Amino acid sequence: MSDQQLKQQIKEMIVERLFLDADPAEMGDDENLMENYGIDSVNLFEIVVGLEEQFEISFEDEDFSVDLFANVNSLADFVERKRS
Amino acid sequence: MIVTSIEERLVSFESGGEPLHAVLHLPPDAPTMTLVFSHPFAEEKKCAHRTMVEAARALADAGFAVLRFDHRGCGDSPGAFGAYDLQDWREDIAQALDFTAHEVAAPVGLLGLRLGATLAAQVAEQRQQTASLVLWEPIIDGERYIRQNLRRTMIKAMMTAHEGGEESDGAAAARASQAAGTVDFDGYQVSEPIREQMAQINLLDPPPACAGPALVLNISATGSAAEPMQRLADAYPRGEAISVRAEPVWQRIGVIDAEPIISATVEWLRRQ
Repeated sequence: MSDQQLKQQIKEMIVERLFLDADPAEMGDDENLMENYGIDSVNLFEIVVGLEEQFEISFEDEDFSVDLFANVNSLADFVERKRS
Repeated sequence: MIVTSIEERLVSFESGGEPLHAVLHLPPDAPTMTLVFSHPFAEEKKCAHRTMVEAARALADAGFAVLRFDHRGCGDSPGAFGAYDLQDWREDIAQALDFTAHEVAAPVGLLGLRLGATLAAQVAEQRQQTASLVLWEPIIDGERYIRQNLRRTMIKAMMTAHEGGEESDGAAAARASQAAGTVDFDGYQVSEPIREQMAQINLLDPPPACAGPALVLNISATGSAAEPMQRLADAYPRGEAISVRAEPVWQRIGVIDAEPIISATVEWLRRQ
């Protein structure tokens, strides 16, 4: 899977799981998710579950940081790191 | 203005010597079945309250009576949350079933959400006469449920620290709670003995034997069936899994469209 495919899948997962009224294709890779999409702690939990289920990765306690959930780029980097 | 002819009666019944708060929703005509509704726990109960009220009213409108009650230590029922364990809460359901059977002349079934569904399923194993069993997003794996709750706590601590301009350390908050001999479920302190009981939950082992019709309702953003839910439904002699696309009503406070969940339940009950 290419880097762009991974980011697109992450965007689609976020839009679907958070019931966002947004087009995944129009989400910027470095767009601030919390500020631009009103993502709160409940949403973050959904994103964690979505990433684990879709990409078969597992979060450790130490992984939880606000920076990780900043944008699609940071999430994609995290997924790549976990899968490598 | 919506005019409804269903009746809502404030009632109370005893469990463990405590009077439990309950609302009995009655349809205009003689009910075809009465459902005892067991709620989720801790923060999930607060979030799901409105959905449970809407579901009870819709079910009553469709001809089913519903007993909605608060377990000991929860909602309007007496006691402190941390003073009771899963066995106490199963006993609450058993008492609710007896009370309902006495109050309403109709077969009695069970409906539950999240941990409430799990407890309902466990009670149904001991009461083979359960007319129907409806499980909304039951906790099948207790360890996973605990992990989910701890993560919610960590994420919330992380976000709170971030909004306050501090360094976030959700993991430290979770460790502090564990060091105090409790597990923090989003502000509700769960004692170690209850955590142990929760950890032992596995609805698939031993396989359920409840002979009545059983619905396992999978509620997800994708609307596709989660594999454990399908396995649980398949394990029941007369089980069926249905998936609906809806927001997790046990996680969100605010206006949530629970109509897909309620409609799927009413339609399934009518088919039994």
